[in-house]
Amino acid sequence: MFKAEYKVEGGKLIKVQLEKKDGKIDFIKITGDFFMHPEELIEDLEKTLIGCPLDETKITKAIKDFIKRNRVSLLGVAPEDFAKCIIKAGGGDG
Amino acid sequence: MVEKWRLLDTGLRDAFYNMALDEAIAIARSKKLVPNTLRFFRWETSAVSIGYFQSMEEEVDIEACNRLGIDYVRRRTGGGAVYHDRDGELTYSLIVNEDHPLISRDFQKTYETLCSGIIRGLRILGVPAEFKPINDIIVDGKKISGNAQTRSMNVVHQHGTILRDVNPTLMFTVLKVPSEKIRDKMIKSVKERVTSVKNYLKREVRFEELKNALIRGFEETFNIKLVPGEVTDFEEQTAIKLKMEKYSTREWNFKR
Repeated sequence: MFKAEYKVEGGKLIKVQLEKKDGKIDFIKITGDFFMHPEELIEDLEKTLIGCPLDETKITKAIKDFIKRNRVSLLGVAPEDFAKCIIKAGGGDG
Repeated sequence: MVEKWRLLDTGLRDAFYNMALDEAIAIARSKKLVPNTLRFFRWETSAVSIGYFQSMEEEVDIEACNRLGIDYVRRRTGGGAVYHDRDGELTYSLIVNEDHPLISRDFQKTYETLCSGIIRGLRILGVPAEFKPINDIIVDGKKISGNAQTRSMNVVHQHGTILRDVNPTLMFTVLKVPSEKIRDKMIKSVKERVTSVKNYLKREVRFEELKNALIRGFEETFNIKLVPGEVTDFEEQTAIKLKMEKYSTREWNFKR
């Protein structure tokens, strides 16, 4: 399991746990003290990210698309911050 | 005519009921069974709540809680882990229809608007409180109130804490710290970052006095009249059910 934390400047803390396979996200859990509405969609967001390559641009786009499609609001974090934390957790070799 | 809102004071209750009743009131409001509501409550036993997106194991020292008889519960709102002291904290909830003029589509603006009632209340007591984005109220740069908001079923639900008195040592006995070595350092840093009505005013302020000031603060800021009321049968039944089937279950509390 790969783990990382990322504190958004002037914002909230994101924690990511993930497993990867062939450079793609195989399992992911995003926790933290941020705000996302509607809350229940966090699990759908995680599901959406499974299979996504560990590439910051692609992850950011996947999250942005999800947010637009589902009319999600974020507070204290931005899609780019989630992506940064995900790359921090799983972006290296291994 | 001045708009009337309901005022509830549900006193000391356990963490699971407290969270369940908040949701029950939101459901009742969405069904238009009750008016917009301000609720005051406290925690018995003292408890820890975590934000919707947090992991219970990562945030809370479960063993310490069990040893000290402190409950732990996941909130329906996001935000961080909070230690709710039985004797130190007053907690409030606002349950307001989403189409009310006080409510903006912008979450950040709505926090600021709803917190302005608390700020006015604290100022009435002589505490020069200010809003600090995203969701805090501070005095002298130190946090005195934390707030969290959610929306569903066309209802905005914001709850938050107001510290009458504060105990940083206990706070870090029940919340996880990155390592034991820095526990003392964190306690010290909390003393520098967190304050209470008592700390600021250098006098004991009873819960009644605090509540009365907050009631005035909300009434003046929102231009409303708060009318003392009761929890309805529908709300009570819904709360009991939500406590049993949701907030007291391992499935909910440990789901992330």
